Amino acid sequence: MSVNRKSIVVGAGRLGSNIAKILSRQKDDVVLIDLNKDKLMNVEDFTGFLESGDATDMDFLEANGIKTADRAVFLTEDDNTNIFLADVCSHIYKVPEIYIKLKDSRKVKIVDPWIRCINPFDLFLDDFVRQMEGKDL
Amino acid sequence: MKIVIANGKHEADYIISTYNSRSNTLVVINESEEDCKYLSVRNGIPVMKGLATRETDLREAGAENADLFIALSEDDMANYVACKTAKQLLGAKRCIATVLNPKNVEVFRKLGIDSVLSSTYLLGEQIRSAASVENLINTLSLHDEKVVIMQIKITNDLYYEGKTLKDLSISKIGSVSAVTRGHKVIIPNGATQLKEGDIVLIVTTEENKEKITGLFQRKKQ
Repeated sequence: MSVNRKSIVVGAGRLGSNIAKILSRQKDDVVLIDLNKDKLMNVEDFTGFLESGDATDMDFLEANGIKTADRAVFLTEDDNTNIFLADVCSHIYKVPEIYIKLKDSRKVKIVDPWIRCINPFDLFLDDFVRQMEGKDL
Repeated sequence: MKIVIANGKHEADYIISTYNSRSNTLVVINESEEDCKYLSVRNGIPVMKGLATRETDLREAGAENADLFIALSEDDMANYVACKTAKQLLGAKRCIATVLNPKNVEVFRKLGIDSVLSSTYLLGEQIRSAASVENLINTLSLHDEKVVIMQIKITNDLYYEGKTLKDLSISKIGSVSAVTRGHKVIIPNGATQLKEGDIVLIVTTEENKEKITGLFQRKKQ
């Protein structure tokens, strides 16, 4: 019996395509979505599905199985879009596990606490501080 | 009333000129320098340049505790986040968002935006209600579309023509408030008979609208 978890990743930049690969390597059924077809063409060594389309369109999300997804990851370049998609998945489609990229960490305040926000800038800053402190030791 | 108007050019201008009076406090914020100038010069009020999706900008503009927050940008996602910010962080009582994609009307409503407007959606609804049952059923929605008033014209091909309201047995899904027959208005009871040409006024809820439409689509054999 196959009990693969189903993941949907939106945004096929370097981050998105690598996250999609990691998930598919751990045997998730992965759909990687991007508006831009060319970005999807450049994704290599990925065994899941590639779909080009507008993720803010509910019909498109449903066609790609959002209703049965176990995990959704939103990495578009627009914070507002990521917040909206997270709310849609959380409140309408009841996706249990949601991650979003948030460039402006002040917007965390309006995101539900069970949605996991990742800020690339903060990660860099944390790492910088850690490495700098490590150097001092 | 305190009204915050976020983004939009001509739409914003129209709303500002409509509500610009002593009894209202208007807070206008716009992300385009050019639109800020346009709105400010035309209406003689200060317009702040800033992002309506950013809490700090909204606070700087003085957008706290608005009675009404209106998001008019052409970016649906930005309007969603602006409304959410206004409601959750700035205590806005009521939010209105405009959307370009008519499909977002339902989605935004489900996500808690009080009112969502799309000109394409409104046009579609108009066409649909005009087309429904050959224009015999008109509906009017009140209180955020929770209460629906339907006006139905009885034609002689309808199953319920000649039957009584008791036969119609509508009480669980709505109530018949009045029957207009020619110049006469009848306050109906169970024994009231529906006749060709009657106009029936029914008060119901959004969920039951379709069921009632269904009843009146039933034709005689």
